[in-house]
Amino acid sequence: MITEKGVWNRLRLRLLFTGPTLFAFITVMIIPFVYGIYLTFTSWDGISTTQTLVGFQNYGSVFKDAEFWKSFGLTLKYVLYTVVLTNVLAFLLAYILTTGLKGQSIFRAGFFLPNLVGGIVLGFIWQFIFNNVLVYLGQKAGIGIFSTSWLADPDHAFWTLVIVTVWQYAGYMMVIYVAGLTGVPNDVLEAASIDGASGWMKMVRMTVPLMIPSFIVCIFLSLQRGFMVYDVNLSLTKGGPFKSTEFVSMHVYQKAFLSRDYGVGQAEALVLFLLVAAITLLQVYFSKKLEVEA
Amino acid sequence: MKRVKGTGLLMLMLAFIVVLSACGSSNGNSKENAASNSAGVKITLLNSKGEIQTQLEDAAKAFHEDNPDITLEIQAVPNGGSPFERASTLYASGNPPTMIMLDTGDVEKFKDRVLDLSGEKWNADTVANATDLTTFDGKNYAFPLAVEGYGFIYNKAVLDKAVGGTFDPATINTTDSLEKLFQQIEASGSKALVVSPMDWSLGAHYLPLAYAGQNKDMAEVNKFVDGLRAGTVQLGDNAVFNGLMDTFDVMMKYNIDQASPLAGVYERGPELLGKGEVGIWFMGNWAWPQINSFDTANGAYGFLPVPVSNNPTDYGNQEISSAVSKRIVIDKEKSTPEQQAAAKKFLEWIVYQDKGQDFLVNKASIIPAFKNITLPAADPLGKSLQDYIAIDRSEQSMSVLPADHWSILGASMQKYLSKAGDRALLVKEIEEYWKTAK
Repeated sequence: MITEKGVWNRLRLRLLFTGPTLFAFITVMIIPFVYGIYLTFTSWDGISTTQTLVGFQNYGSVFKDAEFWKSFGLTLKYVLYTVVLTNVLAFLLAYILTTGLKGQSIFRAGFFLPNLVGGIVLGFIWQFIFNNVLVYLGQKAGIGIFSTSWLADPDHAFWTLVIVTVWQYAGYMMVIYVAGLTGVPNDVLEAASIDGASGWMKMVRMTVPLMIPSFIVCIFLSLQRGFMVYDVNLSLTKGGPFKSTEFVSMHVYQKAFLSRDYGVGQAEALVLFLLVAAITLLQVYFSKKLEVEA
Repeated sequence: MKRVKGTGLLMLMLAFIVVLSACGSSNGNSKENAASNSAGVKITLLNSKGEIQTQLEDAAKAFHEDNPDITLEIQAVPNGGSPFERASTLYASGNPPTMIMLDTGDVEKFKDRVLDLSGEKWNADTVANATDLTTFDGKNYAFPLAVEGYGFIYNKAVLDKAVGGTFDPATINTTDSLEKLFQQIEASGSKALVVSPMDWSLGAHYLPLAYAGQNKDMAEVNKFVDGLRAGTVQLGDNAVFNGLMDTFDVMMKYNIDQASPLAGVYERGPELLGKGEVGIWFMGNWAWPQINSFDTANGAYGFLPVPVSNNPTDYGNQEISSAVSKRIVIDKEKSTPEQQAAAKKFLEWIVYQDKGQDFLVNKASIIPAFKNITLPAADPLGKSLQDYIAIDRSEQSMSVLPADHWSILGASMQKYLSKAGDRALLVKEIEEYWKTAK
């Protein structure tokens, strides 16, 4: 079987099955990615017919671009809050909705629903809520904190983004946690009860360690989505007021398409890619070590 | 077994071929379309003036009636996107529209891809300087579509009441007289003005008054901008800039939204002004359709200049900022010669045919950049602007600022407006921006 001819036969068979996908993957992922890397060495503006090679100059500009690092810092802060809040909320929801509550499947569907609405639409809905509904209520009811629009204040605008993101993703993560919770074997929990473990002890010592794979997936997903956020950022705050909520994806986009600095924009995108890849890989690597067997 | 496997493979291959050929045939179709349409030409126009989208579509229909062999389709730049972004995307995908409506400053970037229009008849009929900024190496690459201007728009009904008689716009020619007017409006029961906090309004319209107001001679203005780039201009000591910002301080003081100055949206401006809740709004003549829908002053509106000092004769105190703002270019890379000819015909139709002129002036409320079009402006703001231009009280707007100017310095202006930064910070940010601007 493992002759020259066999190798070719097997390769041919594999190509037959993976070929179409591979073809799509290479044309829409790999080629643009490599072309993007090439663009980082040019000073292209996005439209001119010639592309001048400028060497590593664009990467120098990335490290000198204070706004890029500021927005990266802001994104880190946003990711920290959204990852923690989304997962805590999602886990709590999942826990409550697996206790056998009446109508729990309706609740599950309800909490999952925001995830089915696109980020742009969500942004506009919440923009209306923060700009009009809350302000109206705040002024009528005399609640100081709501009487002016949250979107007009840099600190509050940041929190509107966190709130909307948590609200959107908590339901999705909840579904994963529900699956994890129902997958915890009952015999282990029963054995713990017999040994006299309290509910809290069972949770911390049994359930959570057995659910590590769910946590890995959820934290990975929320990390990655947090870093890549663009749609909500665009439609809810547009990076404002005065660029105080401009996350890193938006900054990269503005650099490439608004400032017409394709080279620097691409270089920033590449640096961002490396940083996010490093962070998420580290997260997966370290949390894998926490996995236990029942 | 062997046979079954063979059939399976065959099926897969067939499926794959069908998928591939599906892609292929759609390509073939589009080519056939282009060929079979030799009797009729289909052209497209990428519109970046969202407020005239329906008017343009009607104009396309009227044009088709006059020229049954040409079908014009109007595409729109997505809300909030810039024409440059959309056009460069379309070029990158190999599917550019026949005509693109660009902002003045973008034309140069496209000059390798668009037709030289110097030979067109309408070049001889443009208003003064209309094509200067789109002419490179003696060749004009773009069709000037509209003259637009901006300043303080006033609601005459509110101001008449405030001054107790007929309001005369010529009386407002200093910062002090403007402040006095604000006080009179407030005393009469309305609010003085609304400052719309959009970055494009503050960054592309208000702040550039500081550059354009330096001198009536555009060469001096360009020298000033070069000085900013070189870092030799001390903006903090500049009289025009400081005068403009003093006026801005007055605007902030009487702003209806001062409790939350950044919360406002564009739509709030025309509503407040039209309903007479405020007397004044800083905006341009393109806002007329929106103001009109709230109008309570029987269409009596006009422009006031933005004063930059307390000396009435200083340049800028009696002038309204205006310029040719939208340009149409014709693609030469993917468009067939027939399409190019059809596009040229459309541009000529706008300038020389009654229906085209009617669309431009009466339907789309545009102030044309052509001398031969004698129709009076259809709306009060256009009329007011034309009056200022007619008596040479106009200041050339800054049309070729760097592409990210409005966004970055608009943010700085918002900071100032919300009192999150003072004037020293604003000066610093403007100076820093220009040193690195492209």
